[in-house]
Amino acid sequence: MTMLRNVSIYLILALTFVSLDGCSQGPLIWRRVTLNQPISSGDVVFIVPGKTDITAVAERLGAPNEILTSQGGIVTRYYFADGKYFKANYGWGFRFLIPFFSPDLDLGGGGIGRDVFQVTYDQHWRVRDHAFAFHSRSSEFMVWPFKD
Amino acid sequence: MKQLVCCLLGLSMVAVLSQGCAFIRGNYGEELGQGDVTSIQKGVSTRADVAAVLGAPDRIIGANDREIFHYYHYDVKSGSVFIFSRTNIKSDDTYVIFNGAGIVEEVVSGKRKGPLEFQFWPFDWPFN
Repeated sequence: MTMLRNVSIYLILALTFVSLDGCSQGPLIWRRVTLNQPISSGDVVFIVPGKTDITAVAERLGAPNEILTSQGGIVTRYYFADGKYFKANYGWGFRFLIPFFSPDLDLGGGGIGRDVFQVTYDQHWRVRDHAFAFHSRSSEFMVWPFKD
Repeated sequence: MKQLVCCLLGLSMVAVLSQGCAFIRGNYGEELGQGDVTSIQKGVSTRADVAAVLGAPDRIIGANDREIFHYYHYDVKSGSVFIFSRTNIKSDDTYVIFNGAGIVEEVVSGKRKGPLEFQFWPFDWPFN
């Protein structure tokens, strides 16, 4: 008899948890998407303009994401993109007060930032110059979308 | 009977704790073998040789009187645990550059640093 009661309690608990499956996302969501790894200024100290060639750069940093043509040379670009997104459902708690009506009030936001490392080569595939653009920090988990 | 209940309880605990979790992997394009790339010889291999080894390129770029075959492959790993989710994407590109005569002038290939990881924590430690 005690065993039967325990099994019943176990079943009720399991059904309760399973019924909460849809709540697993909860009222809050943090999401992040990244493309590749960031390249820092320390990673490129080996590059000497006029001496280092494209093979040496590719061995250390990998192949670039993009090759472009420019006047008298070729430009390669490495990308690191970072996307962040946050969402809060401020109406989520109403389901406990009004079981038959649970309004969603989603507020949040995010953004995508991209770092670029650019290397320009001459006609003989030797580095002419290189430069960084850091914008990945511009992405952020946005809690309140009305701040501006 | 007691063992059965304990077993069921254990299984259900695992099931309950792992609900809301997802780990997904995907890719785009075919990954080129390093052996295939090293078989291409600068100053010797032609467009046809390269196409025979690596297949048709995903993209052809024209740059300063050169033709560039671009092969790319993307790998994606995504993890979600409850309210946290993170997706990491890694690109692997290979460029074969031909001179005006259609002979390989340069091969640009190399792996990006760092392995692609399954992660679910979206923050740079601790909260950034």
